[in-house]
Amino acid sequence: MAIKLYQEPQLKNPILVAGWPGIGNIGLIAVDTLRAALEAEEFAQIEPWHFFYPRRVEIRKGVLEYLEFPSSKFYFKTIEGKDFIFFVGEEQPTEGGKVYAQGKKAYQMANLVVDMADRFKCRRIYTSGAAVALTHHTLKPRVWAVPNNERLIQEIRGYENTVLMSDIEGRGGQGTITGLNGLLLGMAKKRGFEAMCLMGEMPVYLQGLPLAYPKASRSVLEVLSHTVGIEVNLDKLDQLDEKVERGIEEFYQQIPAEMRGQLDRLAHVTYAKPSEPGPITEEEEKKIMEDVEKFFKKRGGAG
Amino acid sequence: MSRQHSVKIRKEPGLSQSSLVFGWSDDVGDLGRRTTDYLNRKLEGREFAEIEPDYYFQLGGVTVKGDLAQFPESKFYVCPEQELVIFRSDPPGAEWYGFLNSILDVAERHCHVKELYVIGAMVSLDAHTTPRQLLAVVNSAELKDILSQYDVMGEMDYQTPSGERPTLNSLLLWLAKNRNIPGVGLWVPIPFYLTAVEDAEAQKRVLSFLNQKLNLKIDFADLDEEIQEQNRKLAQARSQFPEIDGYIGKLESNLMLSEEENGELMRRIEDSLRERS
Repeated sequence: MAIKLYQEPQLKNPILVAGWPGIGNIGLIAVDTLRAALEAEEFAQIEPWHFFYPRRVEIRKGVLEYLEFPSSKFYFKTIEGKDFIFFVGEEQPTEGGKVYAQGKKAYQMANLVVDMADRFKCRRIYTSGAAVALTHHTLKPRVWAVPNNERLIQEIRGYENTVLMSDIEGRGGQGTITGLNGLLLGMAKKRGFEAMCLMGEMPVYLQGLPLAYPKASRSVLEVLSHTVGIEVNLDKLDQLDEKVERGIEEFYQQIPAEMRGQLDRLAHVTYAKPSEPGPITEEEEKKIMEDVEKFFKKRGGAG
Repeated sequence: MSRQHSVKIRKEPGLSQSSLVFGWSDDVGDLGRRTTDYLNRKLEGREFAEIEPDYYFQLGGVTVKGDLAQFPESKFYVCPEQELVIFRSDPPGAEWYGFLNSILDVAERHCHVKELYVIGAMVSLDAHTTPRQLLAVVNSAELKDILSQYDVMGEMDYQTPSGERPTLNSLLLWLAKNRNIPGVGLWVPIPFYLTAVEDAEAQKRVLSFLNQKLNLKIDFADLDEEIQEQNRKLAQARSQFPEIDGYIGKLESNLMLSEEENGELMRRIEDSLRERS
């Protein structure tokens, strides 16, 4: 279990941005889009064998030629005098048939990522993921931000289109961040690193579908690029979003009319002020959640 | 418990240049378990080591199979005269990399293994009257030349389809390759309607190859009798139930059965073979 370094880049207090697959691949798409747009250079990887089961074998003429494991790679880039490290994982290490990272392997992986932050004296770590919310796919997704340090709360309050857990209707500042995003945030705190998780909102009725939700990745990227002070071309992400939106609209039309009527009301939720109650009552919220659950059960589970 | 501590060696096997035959207990048609059992019985294999289950299996109770409580077992047997090591195990539920490396650690350090053979079965849509094939996947091109002298099909092209994962057998071959241990994956297609029971023909196909390749000098008279009995029972089921005969006839003519017919054939054959056994 080790990090394999191909080169030792000279970086000064870089910012580390980490992304993995998750609901709607929101975090992964956000981080990977940023990495690709900045043309960051690969310089290290976490050896996969201990963490992952192989994903593909290639046998040619009876000879086992190749076994491919999910990758967990580090990239770096210096732009406008600022140094960045990106970490992109193709899978989260899981145990006991769970979908998202859990158990000692996830803990070890989070530790290795923080080891890298330690090695390069990173000044901050960002992770990114999805926030499943009572929202509508025609609305611009908000970004839920969770810091691991009280000092960051005031800073987050100044971000556009971003809310803290205490701003979210009915949450009272509570919640859970599952998988590596949560673990990394906790591990960073334990080892004295400033970190925050930026989560793009995904409508609750889309969470069970095997689709990416680039619209939320865009919201995350807008916040992230503004925070770190860089401009990023998001044309490719917008193209992907257009394509996905068409698929979502098709799916939406297949939802029974009565349930769709309920969901349509989510399109009129406004967030002019944090904590302001929307046009959905608590009871209606419960009903929507139950309907969504029933609908997916009837369709035979997720996707 | 760490990887090193999970292996219990009871007695050094005293081998200098051995071959390892590897089978899973939970396999299509029970092929791995039945083949390794047969080898152990015929060659008087003696247990000499095991891998403790707590590190690699989720031990939340026991499963029940054939009315018996099952507990994961991963055991090594030695047949000194033949310089043969037999390993049989339930497939681990976690830590596959560590588990397979533990096996290779024992193979290298305690058995001086020079080659390994891992047994696998796959589901076939052919009728049982079609001769069983033996497919081989090797982890080095040199092995392919050696195997060409035997009756095996060694030209397989394969890529993991989307949504699936490679088998543990592939991972084992790859890990063996990284240690420069030549390895062969042996695959026998088993007619789908025999997968829930047993297929003595498939068993013989693998065993004959191993017998020849490793010069084991096994007399298969008992297994031949078993095959005859299996074929007799299948023929009886065909003559007794015209639907079964019709379904198998279709497969013999390379025609596809509907999903319903597949299920019906599997059920009827399973009942017929179990009733009479």
